[in-house]
Formats: sequence, C-alpha cells, structure tokens
Amino acid sequence: MDLVTILKTAVAVPVIGSLLIPVANKISVQVRNAYAVALGLVTFAAAASLLPHMMNGATATYALSFPLGFDFVLNADLLSVFMAAISSFVSAIILIYSLDYISHYENQTEYYTMVVLFLGSMMGLVFSANLLWMYIFWELTAFASWRLVGFFRSDRDVAKANKTILVTVFGALCMLIGILMVYFDHGTMDLRLLRGETITTAAAMLILVGILAKSATLPFSTWLPDAGVAPSTVTALLHAAVLVKIGVYAYARIFGVTFMVSPAFSHGVLIIAGLSALVAAGAALIDKDIKRIIAYSTVSQLGFIFLGLASGNKTAFVGGLLYILMHSIAKGGLFLCAGIVEQNTHNKDITKMGGLIKTMPITAVAFALCSLSVMGIPPFGGFFSKFLVFKGAAQHGSILVLIIFLAGAMMTLLYLVRLFYLVFLGEDKASNPREGSATMVGSVLALALIGLALGAFIYYPSLYVDMLTTQLGVGLETIQ
Amino acid sequence: MNPILIPVILPIAAALLVLLISEKTRYLKELLAIAVSGVALISAFPVISQALFGTCMEFSARWAGYGIDFTLKADKLSSFILLGVTFFAFVVSIYSFSFEKKGSAKWFYFNLLLTQAFSAGAALADNLVAMLFFWEGLLIFLYAFIALSKPDQSAKRTAMKAFLINAVTDLAMLAGICITGYIAGTFSMTGIAANKLTLNGWAALGYVLMLIGAVSKAGALPFHTWIPDAAVDSNAPFMSFIPAALDKLLGIYFLTRISVYLFSLNGVAQLGLMTLGALTLLIAVMMAFVQTDYKRLLAYHSVSQAGYMILGIGTLNPIGIAGGLFHMVNNAVYKSCLFMTAGSVERQTGSNDLSKLGGLFGAMPLTAICYIIAAAAISGIAPLNGFFSKEMIYTGALNTGYKWFFIAAEVGSVLTLASFLKLGHSVFFGKRPEALKDTREAPFSTLLPMIILAGVCVAFGFGAKLPIDYLIEPSLQNLGLSHEEVLAGFHFNKLFWASIVVILVALINHMFGLAAGKGAPSKASDHIHYAPALKEIYSMAEARVFDPYEQLMKRVPSAAGLLYKVDRFLDYLTDDLPSFAVNAFSKTSQRFHTGSYPLYMALTIAGFVVFILLTATYGGIK
Repeated sequence: MDLVTILKTAVAVPVIGSLLIPVANKISVQVRNAYAVALGLVTFAAAASLLPHMMNGATATYALSFPLGFDFVLNADLLSVFMAAISSFVSAIILIYSLDYISHYENQTEYYTMVVLFLGSMMGLVFSANLLWMYIFWELTAFASWRLVGFFRSDRDVAKANKTILVTVFGALCMLIGILMVYFDHGTMDLRLLRGETITTAAAMLILVGILAKSATLPFSTWLPDAGVAPSTVTALLHAAVLVKIGVYAYARIFGVTFMVSPAFSHGVLIIAGLSALVAAGAALIDKDIKRIIAYSTVSQLGFIFLGLASGNKTAFVGGLLYILMHSIAKGGLFLCAGIVEQNTHNKDITKMGGLIKTMPITAVAFALCSLSVMGIPPFGGFFSKFLVFKGAAQHGSILVLIIFLAGAMMTLLYLVRLFYLVFLGEDKASNPREGSATMVGSVLALALIGLALGAFIYYPSLYVDMLTTQLGVGLETIQ
Repeated sequence: MNPILIPVILPIAAALLVLLISEKTRYLKELLAIAVSGVALISAFPVISQALFGTCMEFSARWAGYGIDFTLKADKLSSFILLGVTFFAFVVSIYSFSFEKKGSAKWFYFNLLLTQAFSAGAALADNLVAMLFFWEGLLIFLYAFIALSKPDQSAKRTAMKAFLINAVTDLAMLAGICITGYIAGTFSMTGIAANKLTLNGWAALGYVLMLIGAVSKAGALPFHTWIPDAAVDSNAPFMSFIPAALDKLLGIYFLTRISVYLFSLNGVAQLGLMTLGALTLLIAVMMAFVQTDYKRLLAYHSVSQAGYMILGIGTLNPIGIAGGLFHMVNNAVYKSCLFMTAGSVERQTGSNDLSKLGGLFGAMPLTAICYIIAAAAISGIAPLNGFFSKEMIYTGALNTGYKWFFIAAEVGSVLTLASFLKLGHSVFFGKRPEALKDTREAPFSTLLPMIILAGVCVAFGFGAKLPIDYLIEPSLQNLGLSHEEVLAGFHFNKLFWASIVVILVALINHMFGLAAGKGAPSKASDHIHYAPALKEIYSMAEARVFDPYEQLMKRVPSAAGLLYKVDRFLDYLTDDLPSFAVNAFSKTSQRFHTGSYPLYMALTIAGFVVFILLTATYGGIK
C-alpha cells in the first residue's frame, strides 16, 4: 500500500467505521465488540506502519480543494504519525479492556460508537494540516467526550459532562477567533505554508486558551477531575491518552513546529504550567476519590509536558514529546487499574480501601509499575522524559521555573506513594475483592511492561523524537 | 560479551530467573543467588586487575542522545567500589541462606540480586546520567526490600519513609546533574574531570544538589532518619547489605567523585563538608549510645560512621580522603558483620532487646568472637582496620588546621566504644536470662559470612598494607592526588596514645554507668540518657521532633490544603461564576420579553445603531 492510502485508512476507518457500529450491533453483540476492537487495531496498525517510513524521511499528503480556506489536507509527518501511533495504541488497548469492563453496563453500542468516533476524530485532528479542519475535528472530539463522560446518565454525570463540553468548547471558540486572525493576517490556514511565520500575540493568546482548556491546565483545569464520574475506560481515554494530549499536541504543532513565538509568551506558558502542576499536585494529595486523584495527577503532569514544549530548546522539546509518550502509556495503565479496583470493590474512596495487594496482586504490581513510570524512576521510560525536561529547563535558565517544577516533582512522588500505600498496602477494609478478569489484568500488565520496555529500549523512541525535532522544530536553541 | 558488563547483567538475568522458580522448592533460589553473586564477585577481579595493571575496561553505547550515553568505565576507584559491591552481595546471600525471617525468599533474592546489579552499574558508570539511572533505580528495590520484610504495617510505613527520603534527594541529584551537565557541556565524568568546575553561580548550585544526593545515600544528617526505623522494621540481612554496606560505598564514592574529581572546591565547601561530617558523627553517636535495641543501636552507628567518612573526604587533603575511602570500606566490613551478629542473636533467641539478652558468650561463642572483633574495629582499637582509617582521618583533619574537628571525632570515638561496651556486655556477658537457657550457636551458613568479615577486619589491620597498596593508593592516583606521607604501616605517634586515652575514658564511663545502673549492662548509658538537660533533648528526639521527614509530613496536609483551595477557587471561576452570570443575565433579559412589539423594534434599532457606530469607529473585525 502506498503511504497516502495508509494515511487515508488511518483517518477514514475509525471515523466512518464508528458509524457502522450500531449496524453491527443488529447482527450480534459479539460481532459489534469484535468489529469495534478491529477498528481500533486497524487504526493503530495503519498509524504504526507509517513510523518507519517517516524515519526514512518520507511524507504523505492527501488534499481536497474547497473554497474559503476550507481545503481538506491530511499530512503525515514525523510529529503527526508519532502522536497518531501513541493515541491509537492506547485506544486499542482500552477497547480490548472494555470488552469485559463495559459488559456490566447499559448503552454499550453508544459507548463503542463514541470511543471509535473519538479515536477517528483524534486521527483527523493530528493529520490535519489545515487549522480549520483541525478545529472541526477538535469539536468532534468534544462532542464524543460529552457523550462518554455522561455515560452513566444520572443528573450529576450529565452536569459534569456539560461542564466538560462547555469549558472545552469555550476554549475552542477562543481558538477559532485566533485561527481566523491568523487567516486574515496570512491569507491561509495551511500549516505547511505558515511554517516559520510569526504570529501576533493576541492570536497566540487566543489559541493558547483553547489549548489550555483542552489540556486541562490552569485556570481551566477543574473539568478534568470532575469528569472522573465517567467509566474508567473513558477516563483512561480522555484523561490520560488522547483528549488531554490534544492540547499539548496542538501546542507542539502550532507553537513548536509552525509559528515563531516570543520568549515572553513561552515564559508565560511555563509559569502557568508550573502553577498548574503545583496546584493539581496539592489537590491530588487531598482528594479521596481514586480516579479524581489520578485525574489531578494528569493535570499536574501536563504541566511538565508544557515545560518541555515551551522551554525553547531542543533538549526540552525532545523531553516534552517523550513525556507525551511515557505519560500516555503509564497514566492509561493507572486509570485502567483504578477501573479494576473500582469495579471489584464497588468503591472509589481510598480511605475505605486497603490491603488489596493480597487479593489483587497483579493489578497492584501493574499499578506500582505505572506509578514508577509517572514518577520518573529508572529503569522506566518516564525517567528519561523527566530527565530531559529538567535538563531543558536548566538550559532555559529560569531558576523560578526550575524550583516550581522540582516542587511539583516532589509532590508527584508523595501523592503516588500515598495512593499506592492507602489502596494496596494499608489495613484491609474492603470485603472480599477479587482480581480483575484476564482481559482487564492483561491489558494493565501490558501497559506496565511497555513502560518498562520503553525505558530499556529508550534508544528507538529518542532517536525518532530527535529526528522529529531536528527536522521540524522551529526557533529552538540547538545547544545540547 | 564485554567482561565489564557481567557484574551488571548477570545478576539481572538471575533475578528474573528467581521469579520463575516455584515457592515450593527449598534452597534452589538460595543456591542460585549464592552461585550468581559468587560468579559476579569472581568477574570483578579481572576488571580490577585491568584497572590496576593494564588499561581500564570500558563499554560505551549510544543511548538516549543529548549527551546521555550508556558508558561504563572501570577505572581504579570504580573497580574498587565494584569489588566491594560484589563482595557484600556474595557474603549476604550466604548469610541469608538459613535466615528464615527474610520474608518471601523469592522476592528477597530478587531484590538482593537487582540491588547488586544496579549498585554495580552505578559504581561503573562514567556518564552521570547512566549513573543516575542505576542509582535512582535502587529506590524500587529499597522500597520492596523493606515493605516485604515483615507482614505488619510498620514495615510498609518505613518502606514509604525510606523511599520518599531517598527519592526526594535523588530528585535533587537529578537537577544537580542536569545543571552540571549543561555547565560542563558533557555528562561524561572523565570529560568533566579534564576541565574541573569551580563553585560559582549555577555550578555551585549543581554541586550542592548532587552533594545532597551523595550524603543522603551515605546516610548523613538530616537524611538518615529512615535507617534506625528500618533497623526495627526490616531484617538483619537487609541492614547488613544496604544501609551498612552498599549505601556507604555508593554515597562516599559519589561524594569523592564530585568533591575531588569533578569540582575543585574552595575553603567554604571544605568547612561545610567537615562540619556536616562532625555533626553527623556526634549527634548520631549520642543517639546510638542510649538505644536499647541491638539493631537500632547499630543503625545509629552506621549513620555516625558516615560522619567520619564525610569528615575525611571534606578535609580535601590526600591523607584525609584516603582515610575517608578506607573508612568507607572498613565500616562496610565491620558494620555488616555487626548486623549479622544481631541477626544471628535474633535468630537464636528471638529477641533484639538488650534488657532481655545476656550471657550468650558461652552459648554462641563464634558469634560472640566475631562481635568482639568487629566492635573493636569500629571503636578504632589497634591493630584492627578501623584504627588505621580513623588515624588517617584524624591526621587529615589536623592538617587542615581546624583542631575542633579532631576533638569532635575523638569524642565520637569515646562514645562509640562506650556504646559497644554496653552492647557487648548486655548481650554476650553478664547473667544469661532463664528464658535463654537452651540457646545454641547459629548454623554454619550464618557463621561463615561473619567469620569472613571478622577475618577481613583483621587482615585489613596490622598496618593495613594490603588494602592501602591495592585499593586506596590507586584510588588516590585515579583522583589525581599525590602525597608524601606514608599511609601504610603502624605509626607509634601521638594519635596512638590518643586512642589509648579514648579506650580508658570509655572504660571508666562504662564502669561508672554500670555502677549507676545497679549492675544492669543495658542501663549503662542511663547516666547520660537521663542527665539533666540531655534528658529533655533525648525525649524530644524519641518523639521525632528532630526528624525532618516526620515534621514535614505533618505539614503536608495543610500545605496541600492551601493548593486545593486555589483549585476550588478556579473551579468557582470557571464553573459557579459563569453559571451564576448566565442565570442572572437570562433572568434580567426575561423581563424585556414582555410581548410588546414596539419594545422589540426599539431594541433592534438601538442595537443596529450601536453596531454601525462601532464599525464606523473601529473598522470591523479586520
């Protein structure tokens, strides 16, 4: 298959395929489930098969002309393929895990439709080379996440789902104005043509609002822990692997590899990200709901990703991109572990848990391994991303930023150790919890071991990301 | 395979293999671990002999880019540490063979082998990031070691304490390495050593951050507080392996590397390091002296001994550094041996409480003799190894011109000997309690490692020619230090007489303590423990008032609570406030929806006029 076909497959299969899931449901539940998982796997296979081509320097573009700047352009480059491979991989694992997890609940057809549609819009978003289409897919993910967060349909769930969509759409509308300002200034929204151009501060700020809202960063962060009411698979998809990564991807795409931005703007982003990392880490230490804690942890870790992407040097940028990879895998694993705990103890309050390692040893080990990766302890992959981000911050040279993030990293250690201790080690409180099913436990263990393998074989991801940064990076200091 | 990789890769492979062995098999895991650590020890010999007599072995592979290369280099100092690491792993795996209370054997040996592998990696790494990779990776096994050593909650809490203290200091080290690497333009230690850094600006910050990691590993104040807790909540093999031996080796190794090899320090840093060393040795020995638990007493001593090493390295003169390095290895030997005697006594009697033990010399003569040799060595009694390393540290301290540090170290020595007199007397002499009537000597596999270590205490004594010629002198060369003093050999000088005075003072103190404690040796420290003024300080220390970890953890909830309030305020801004505003707006606008057509028309026209005016003034969106 030629690259353009693969590229079209990666976007079209999940977007169009998701609409046929209700049809598959008419045949049988098993067919529907198998079909949904197959869509996820095909998407991942398509995205992953582009990786080696990108490393060999190939690119692929598919374009359809429309008037008024609506040109539909899909472009596969190192960055978009990197992001597509990560999100489709975690989504595929989540779909497999869902086979058992979601079978206990109602509205399964809608669930699968929305998850795959979500994945499809993510693919569309990362491959879009036109800001306007990026925005359209952006809103499509908001729609899917709205349905998914409100999956359980109680008033509270629906209210939280509304909050999710209102906050993110508010941000997106600000971004749309920013995009239009870019259009009026430059006469195009094609990112390939805009590379190396400068952007006005007002437009950059408006786009940033959209990014911060989507990536749940101060001051728009609180929808994310609230959305923890959703099923754990949804939180894994939204809070760990895909939705929150849209914002950081857009940051990398728009401010990392397209426009030149002023150092003052980047410095502002760093301060916001640092405060966000601190505030969320503090909240993670106080909250008692296992999923809210992990969600706050995501908010906090997103701060570290921004630190990498906005420090303005190659080391940091590479660290930030690796951070996206490591965090997606490990945090996805944590949410899925929380799903097993929640489903088997019928409880989300960590003060009412304890000693679960005895009855759920594999979940406990997977949780511990994923936590270690999030903390950035070697030999897990998280170590390298944390190290490079800090090295980049040292190069950036702001002592204030360094101190804020060191404090954030310390608190990361603290809340994750506390969480593990209370849930898995503390005194037994829950009655007869069982280990999760083989599918679920297998999924979390796979994510945990991949986190370990990414550390052991860091050579390959770092090589890829290094090529990406060297080829596409704009305005980055290159001192190593 | 490059032979330098064997001590790192072999134990990792064996650890994974141990996990596959069924829990039901007896001795298979034990024998595998002993065999593998034995082979690793043997594999360290060609590495060190290459470093001493040939060109040192190296291994390098591209890793994560950006200066992060996987580079191992067995120079003289590194291979010395490697030898120590593999040696202690070997003796501890023999010791653990018939030590039942080590938790699940599978996980015990898994942790032991991986700790060994990662420590070997940290000792050999030439690239600072590779070193950090191994160094920080040890955290996982530290946590698992302690958490799995006993089923009760206290072990889990102490594991968390050990993990957090070390993880935070490792984070400081990470930041220090980032800064140092950036300033120097390379992470290669060999590369940085070629153009030593000086302490100014960012480089000073980098040094201090790395220093925190190094001294915390060695167990210096104020990062030591997990060690006495772990002594109670974990087991003797763990204590004799990690806090007694490997942590000291690695911590002092890295302290030496950064302070002598990578940076050229100034007088302020010298004074700072020596003060840290002196404070650590004095405060910890004061705590050790009054303990009544065998292992907890030893744990405070292992902190105190780290103080001597830091003092020695901090002198920054060759003889002091030689003393610090020699004391590092000596301490590992006798302290490991002492923890093993504690484990042996605990195994045979079921207790570590000094007030419940006594008169065991007759029942456990070999354990007792090993104890006496090791205790004499730690107390710096000639002609054992501890005497020579302390002598060098004293000389180094005197050479700096700061006499106070010498005096502090001698006071520390008095209290060290005094507490070992108390400990030995309480356990092995005096009257044996009725309950311990049938106590017997420990099994062979427990005794053998103790005998080996006690033997090393003797072999490294008597002038200490062997270790100084083959380990210490080459390390000094490696660090680029030259000196005129003759290090090896017995010097019949003032310092020898000082050591005799120390012995006499400690003996008099012990007799006085016994008399005051009405003959009970375990109460021989009460005259100091309950002395006016000291009594209050001791009771505060026991209530953990001086434990920074406990104090900080108490304050975490309120600090985090404050941040949580910020989060809630932002939630108010993005959730409650907009909802309120929208509601208020819609309520207000409802009032205008009266159904009156003229009102609607008037509002529409007014809006249109405003729009026209705005467009005319500002020229539209563009």
